[in-house]
Amino acid sequence: MLKKDLGLLILILVVGTVVALLNPRFVSQINVANTANLIGLFGLFAIGQGFVIITGGIDLSVGSIFALLGVIFIDMIGLWGVPWPVAFLLTILGGVMLGGLHAFLVTRMKMQPFVVTLCGLLIYRGLARWYTGDGTAGFEFGQSFPALEWLTMGRSPIPYWLPESWGGPGFFPMPNSFIAFIIVALIMGVVLHRSVYGRYLFAVGKNEEAARYSGINTRKVIAAAYLISGLLAGISTVYFAMYTRSISPASHGNFYELYAIAAAVLGGCSLRGGEGSVLGIVLGAVLLQVLQNLVNLLGIESSLNFAVMGGVILIGVIADQQLVKYRTRKANERKRALGHGALSPVAQQEK
Amino acid sequence: MKRLASTAIALALGLAFAGAAHAEDKKTLAFVVNGASDFWKAAEAGVKKAQEELPNYNLVLKYPEQSSAAIQIRLMDDLVASGVAGIMVSAVDPKTESDALNRIGKEVALATTDSDAPQTSRIAYIGSSNTDAGKQAGELVLKALPEGGKCMGFVGLLGADNAKERIQGVKDVIKGSKVELVDVRGDDIDFTRAKRNVEDTLTANPDINCMIGFYSYNTPKIYEALKEAGQLGKIKVIGFDEDPTTLGGVREGTIVGTVVQQPYEWGYQGMKYLAAYLEGDKSWIPENKLLIVPTKIIDKSNVDAFEAELKKRQGK
Amino acid sequence: MGEPNQPFLELNAISKTYPGVVALNDVSLAVGRGEIVGLIGENGAGKSTLMKVLGGVIAPTSGTIKVDGREHAGLTVNDAIKSGIAFVHQELNLFDNLDVAGNVFIGREPLYGGPLKLLDRKKLHRQVQPLLDKLGVDFASDTLVADLSLAQRQLLEIAKALSLDARLVIMDEPTSSLTLSETERLLGVMNDLRADGVSIIFISHRLNEVKFCADRVVVLRDGRMVGGLDRTEARPEAMIRLMIGRDLKSLYIPPQAPPGAPALEIMDFRTTAFPNHPVSLTLRRGEILGLAGLVGAGRTELARAVFGIDRRLGGDLKIDGQAVGIGTPRDAIDRGLFLVPEDRKQSGLHLDFSLTENISLPDLVRYAPGMLISGAAEGKNAEAQKRRLNIKAFDVATVAGTLSGGNQQKIVLAKWLSMKPSIIIFDEPTRGIDVGAKSEIYQLMRNLADAGVAVLMISSDMEEVIGVSDRMAVMHEGAISGFLERDRFSEHNVLQLAVGKRLDREGHLN
Repeated sequence: MLKKDLGLLILILVVGTVVALLNPRFVSQINVANTANLIGLFGLFAIGQGFVIITGGIDLSVGSIFALLGVIFIDMIGLWGVPWPVAFLLTILGGVMLGGLHAFLVTRMKMQPFVVTLCGLLIYRGLARWYTGDGTAGFEFGQSFPALEWLTMGRSPIPYWLPESWGGPGFFPMPNSFIAFIIVALIMGVVLHRSVYGRYLFAVGKNEEAARYSGINTRKVIAAAYLISGLLAGISTVYFAMYTRSISPASHGNFYELYAIAAAVLGGCSLRGGEGSVLGIVLGAVLLQVLQNLVNLLGIESSLNFAVMGGVILIGVIADQQLVKYRTRKANERKRALGHGALSPVAQQEK
Repeated sequence: MKRLASTAIALALGLAFAGAAHAEDKKTLAFVVNGASDFWKAAEAGVKKAQEELPNYNLVLKYPEQSSAAIQIRLMDDLVASGVAGIMVSAVDPKTESDALNRIGKEVALATTDSDAPQTSRIAYIGSSNTDAGKQAGELVLKALPEGGKCMGFVGLLGADNAKERIQGVKDVIKGSKVELVDVRGDDIDFTRAKRNVEDTLTANPDINCMIGFYSYNTPKIYEALKEAGQLGKIKVIGFDEDPTTLGGVREGTIVGTVVQQPYEWGYQGMKYLAAYLEGDKSWIPENKLLIVPTKIIDKSNVDAFEAELKKRQGK
Repeated sequence: MGEPNQPFLELNAISKTYPGVVALNDVSLAVGRGEIVGLIGENGAGKSTLMKVLGGVIAPTSGTIKVDGREHAGLTVNDAIKSGIAFVHQELNLFDNLDVAGNVFIGREPLYGGPLKLLDRKKLHRQVQPLLDKLGVDFASDTLVADLSLAQRQLLEIAKALSLDARLVIMDEPTSSLTLSETERLLGVMNDLRADGVSIIFISHRLNEVKFCADRVVVLRDGRMVGGLDRTEARPEAMIRLMIGRDLKSLYIPPQAPPGAPALEIMDFRTTAFPNHPVSLTLRRGEILGLAGLVGAGRTELARAVFGIDRRLGGDLKIDGQAVGIGTPRDAIDRGLFLVPEDRKQSGLHLDFSLTENISLPDLVRYAPGMLISGAAEGKNAEAQKRRLNIKAFDVATVAGTLSGGNQQKIVLAKWLSMKPSIIIFDEPTRGIDVGAKSEIYQLMRNLADAGVAVLMISSDMEEVIGVSDRMAVMHEGAISGFLERDRFSEHNVLQLAVGKRLDREGHLN
C-alpha cells in the first residue's frame, strides 16, 4: 500500500467517524449497504478513468456514454425483447467501440484527449436526446428482469461475526454492484500493478520517449487505456440504467466523468500522467460517495452537496501535498545526516 | 472518416431544408418548453390536436438544449428572428428572464405556461396553478395520514418557482394538522441522486411515514427505492404528474395518489387562444390574466380511466 | 562612453573553474569596434562557457570584463543587454506562435491604455520595419515565425539583436543549418553591420566561412586561448593546427582478436535531417567503430533512424548479412540491436522508476510468465546487473533520478546487457560522467566487443573517439566524409574530415 493511499484511508476514516458520531445511523447496515451500492456504481468507471489519466490523457465522455448506451440498452430489453445477456454484451461492446474511437483519434490522428472526449461528451448526449426525442427511456410499469436485477441491484448475504454485545453474528446484504466493482478492481489492480501492460502504462505516462527507446509500442499502450475506459463505461451503463430504471438523456450521467476524475485524482493519479493506483481510485470513489451520503444524513442543505464535495477534496489534496513536502524535508534531513545529496520536492518533475 | 463527415453534412442540410420547407407563408406559433422531459410529450399531443384545428397556422414545440434560462432566451430570440407570430413558453426561471420576456412580448404574442411571469408584458398565463396543485397534494397527504405523521419531500430544483409553489401549497394545507413536512431534498434532476436521496432518507429519518415526489420523476424514484428496501406500502407516497410508474403504483395501491396537471390542455388551449389573439379575439383573457387549467387528483378510483385517456391522446 | 579607438570589449585573464574542471583558463580577448572576430575550437574547448560569461549568465571565477571602457566586476544579464551585447544562438530562441514584430519586441512591446496595458500593434510594426529594411529581409513584419525558413529566422534573431541597439553581436554557429546562398546572404549582412560599427564574434565550425568574413581568428583549446591569426594567416590548415595539439591520454584497450564478419551493414541510409546525403557503413563483430564529427553532423539522427525511432527516407539494413526491416525500436531490440541514447534523462531511462523497473523495461515479458511480472525474477536480474556494472545505489529499489550521471548511464547499459546484445550503438556514452565511471564504461565496451558484440560509438569527445575506437568513421553535414584506420588516427585527421575536407590514401589533405 502506498503512503498516499494510506493518507486517503485515514481521511475517509476521520470523515466517517465524525459523521457516525453525529448520526450513528451512518454505520447502520442498511446505510452501509446503500452507500456500498453507489460506490460500486461510481467506482467501476472511475477505474477506467484512472487508466486514461495515467497515460496523461482524460476521458470526459463517460457521462454521455451512459446516456447514449443506456437509452439503447433500456429499449433493447424493455421494448425490443432482446435477451438481457445479449443486450448487456452489446452495451459493453458499444462502450469498447466508443473507447476504440477515442483511441484512434488520440493515437493515430494525434488529437488531444481533452478535445476528443469533449466532442464525445457533446455528440453522445446529443445523439441520445435525439434518439429518445428528448423524452425518457424507461420500462413499463411492473416490467421486471429478475436475473438482471439481481445481478445489478441485488444483494448477496455475506456472513459476518460480531460479539453478542454488538448484535451478534449475522448476514450483511452486500450489494452485487459493489461485489462486481471489487472484482473489477482486483482484476484491474493486478493488470495495473502486476502485469506487463501496467508497467508499460506507467512507463508511457511518465516518459513516453524513454518508453519508445525501450521498445514499447506506446500507441498501443495508450489505445488500450481508452479501450479499458470504454469497456468499464459500458458495464457501468447497465448498472446505472438498472439503478435509475429510466433514463432522461438530457440529464442522465451529467458530470459523472467529473466524479470519476475526482476519484482518480483523490486516489493519487496525477493529471500529468504516470502516477496512480487502483486502491487509490477505489478509496477515492469511497470518499466521494461517503461525502454525498453525509450531506443527506446530517441534513445539510442539499444545495450544498457539491460545495461539501469540492471542499473536502481540496482539503484532502492540500493535506496530501503538505505531507509530501514534510516527508521530503524529513528525508533530506536524514540524507544530509548521512552525507548524501539532497532531494528536492520537485525532483520528480525535473528533467 | 471522410465519407462519414459528408454523410453527416448531407444529413444536416437535409434537416435544415425540411425545417425551412414547413415555414411557407403560414404564421408560426411556437410552444417553448423548459427542458427535455417526457412530461412535455402530452403537451406536444395537445399542440398536434390544435394543429388539426388550425390549418392556417404552423405549430411547433421547441426544446432548449439545456434547462438554462440563457439558452432558452437564445432559442426564443432565434424564433422571433425567424418570424414566429406567437410564443407560449414555460420559462426556466421567470425572474431572470423577465427582461427578455418583455422584449420578446413586444415583438410577438407571448403567453406563459407552467410557471408564470406576472411582471412581464405577456398576454396571459395559460396553465395550472402550482400552488393549487400543491394544495391538492396536501389534501391527499391529510387523507392518507389521519393520525398525523412526518413527510419528506423530494424535488429536482429546490429554487425553481414551480417547486416552491407546490411545496408552499402542501404546507398551506397541512398547517395546523398533525402532519409535518420535515424537509425537501433536491437532486438537480440527477436520477441517481434522486434515488439515493430516498435511500438516505430511509436511513437518516426512519420515523418518516410519508414521502412526496414534487417532480414527475421523483415519485418513480421513491417507488423504486421503497420497493428495493421492502418498505412499499408502509410509507405513504404522494406524487405529482403522470409517470407510468407513478400511475402503476396508484393502480397497485402502493401510491396514495398523484396530482396531475393537464399539459395536453396547455398545449391545445394555449395554441388555440394564441391563434385567436392573433386574429383579434381578446375576449378569452380573464381580468387577472390567469387562465388556470385545473389540476386533477388521480387515485385508485380514476387511474384506469385517466390512463386510457392519456394513451388515446398520445396515440399509443 | 569610451574612446573610439579603444576596443569595445576587453576580456582580461578570465578563468572559470568548476569543482574538478577548469572550463576557462586565463582567457584574454579584445574585440574592436566594427571588427569581426572568428572564435573557433573543438567541441568542449570552452567556447560556450566563454559566451555564457559574456552574456552575464555565469560569473567568472577570476578576471575582468571591460565593455565600452567600463569595467564590470560581476557582469549580469541585464548589464550585458544594457551594454549592447546580443546573442544569436544556434538553437533559436523564437516564439513560433508570434509574428516577426512580436518576436523582436518580446517583453518590450509598445503599450497604450495606461493601466490596461494594451498592445499598440501599429507602433510595434512601425518600429520593426526599419530594422527589417536594414537587413534587407524578404519577409514582412506580420509574418508568423512558424512560416519562416531557418535562414529567415536567423536574420530575425539578428533584427532582434539590432533592436536592442546591439554593439556586439555574438553569433553561435549561425550558418550550421543554412544553405549556401542563405549563408552568403548572412555573411553579407555581417559585413553591413561591421560597416555600421557593430562588432561581431562569429563562432563556427565552418572554417572557410570564418576565413572569409573574420578580420581576425582566435582559437580556444581546453579552456585556454591558444593563439590568434590575422586575416592573412587564417587558412583552414593553420586553424586546425591550433585547434588540436593537446596530449591525449591513452585510453586504448586493444582487442583480443581481429574483427569478425560484418554484423551491421547500413546501406544508402537517408534520414529526414539530411535527406540528400545517403550514408553507408559496415560494422563488424568484435570491433568498436567510432563515429566522429562535429555536433550536428547527423550522427544521432542516423542512430535514431537505424534503431527505428525515426522514419528513414531510404536505404537498407543488413544484420549478419541478412536484410532486415526495422520500423520500430521493438524490431531493432528483437534482433539484438540496441541504442544507448544521447539524452540519458529524457530518452535513456525513467527517472522516477527504480533500478529494477528501468532495467527490466525493454525485456519485461521475460520476467512475466503469464503476463504477470515476477518481482523476484526482475529483482534478481537487477541485482546481478548492479553488481556486474558496479552501480552505486543503496539497493535496486532506488529511484534512478537520485543517482549520479555515471550510475544512471550504467542503468541504461544494464537494460541492454540483461538481454543478448548483438549490436550496440552508444551515442555520447560518457557525456556528463565522471572520470571513474568513464573508464569503467570504456572497459565494458571493450569486453562487449571481445565477446563478439559489434559496437558503434558516436562521440564528439576527441580524446574518447581516438582513444577508444578500433576504427573510425567521420561525418560531416549528414554524410560520411571518410574512414580512418587506427594507424591514421590523429586529432588532425579527424578534424579535417569533420570540417568536410577529404583525405587521400596516405592521409594527406586532398
